[in-house]
Amino acid sequence: MIINHPHLGPRDAQEFVYLGDASLMDRPDWQDENAADNFHDYLYLRDNPDGEHRELWYHEQGDRSWLVVTRNTLTHEITRVELARDVAIAMRRRK
Amino acid sequence: MSEYTMTALPALGGYQASFDGVTLQEVTATAIVSIAIPLGGDDAMAKALQDAYGTAIPRAGHTSLANDGATRFLGMSSEQMFAVFDHAGAHALDVIAGNLKDAGYYTLQSDNWVALRISGPRSRDALERICPIDLNSAAFPQGKVARTTMEHLGVIIYPDDTDSFILLSGSSSAGSFLHALETSIHNIL
Repeated sequence: MIINHPHLGPRDAQEFVYLGDASLMDRPDWQDENAADNFHDYLYLRDNPDGEHRELWYHEQGDRSWLVVTRNTLTHEITRVELARDVAIAMRRRK
Repeated sequence: MSEYTMTALPALGGYQASFDGVTLQEVTATAIVSIAIPLGGDDAMAKALQDAYGTAIPRAGHTSLANDGATRFLGMSSEQMFAVFDHAGAHALDVIAGNLKDAGYYTLQSDNWVALRISGPRSRDALERICPIDLNSAAFPQGKVARTTMEHLGVIIYPDDTDSFILLSGSSSAGSFLHALETSIHNIL
C-alpha cells in the first residue's frame, strides 16, 4: 500500500504506523456535565464502516508527521491524505 | 594519575570495498548536527541561515547547500533539519551554534550515525532490493533526501553525485546495516 504524503510524495506503508479512527483527534470537553459518558464513548466506541474511513497514520520512519488518511476499507483505495496538524487547525476554527 | 587521550574510532573501522560496478565505503569525520526550529521562529532561522551560509531552510525531503559547498542541510521535517559537514573532533556543535546563534535548538548527532557512500553505475541496482524509495535520477535527483527503512533499519539517503548516494544509519547497528548492503550487492553480482 502506498500513501501519498502531502510533503514527501508516494511512500511505502511500511514506513508508517497505524493508530486508528481519526475521531480520536476530537477529544471531549472534560468540563462538560456529560463528560464521563462522553469519554466512555470516546475511549471505547468505534464505528466499523464498510467503505470510507478516516484514520490516523504516523510517519515514524520518515518525517515523523501525523496524517489523516481517508481509506476505503473494502478496496484499500486511499482517496485523501492530509497533515493532521492542518486538520486540527481547521477543526479548532470551526468550534 | 596517568593522562589518557581518547581517540574516536569510526563505527566500521573505515570500511571500503569495491565490487563489479559498485563501490561501498564508510565516510568518516562527518559531523551531523540536528537543528530544530522553535515554534514561530522560521523567519529568524531563515535569516540566520542566509547570513551565515547563504542558503535557505530546506523543505522536508529536500536539501540545501551552503554557498561554500561545505555544509549540506537536510530537510527532515517541517521543523527539523540536519547539518552535515566534514569535521574531525568533538566540537561540531559549537560550529553550528556559533554560526546560527540562538535561532534554533541544536543537538550533536555525529556519534549516533554511521555514514556510507555507495557509488558506481550499479549502485541503484544494489539499493533497489532493500530501499523502498524511487531512486531514479528524475524522481530523486541531487537536492532531495529521504528518511526510510532498509532491512528494518532507519536510514537517511541522499544523492551526492551522479550514481552516488550517502546513507546514514544508526551507529549502534552499523554492522547489521553493512551486512544488509553487502548482501544486497552480492545478490546483483
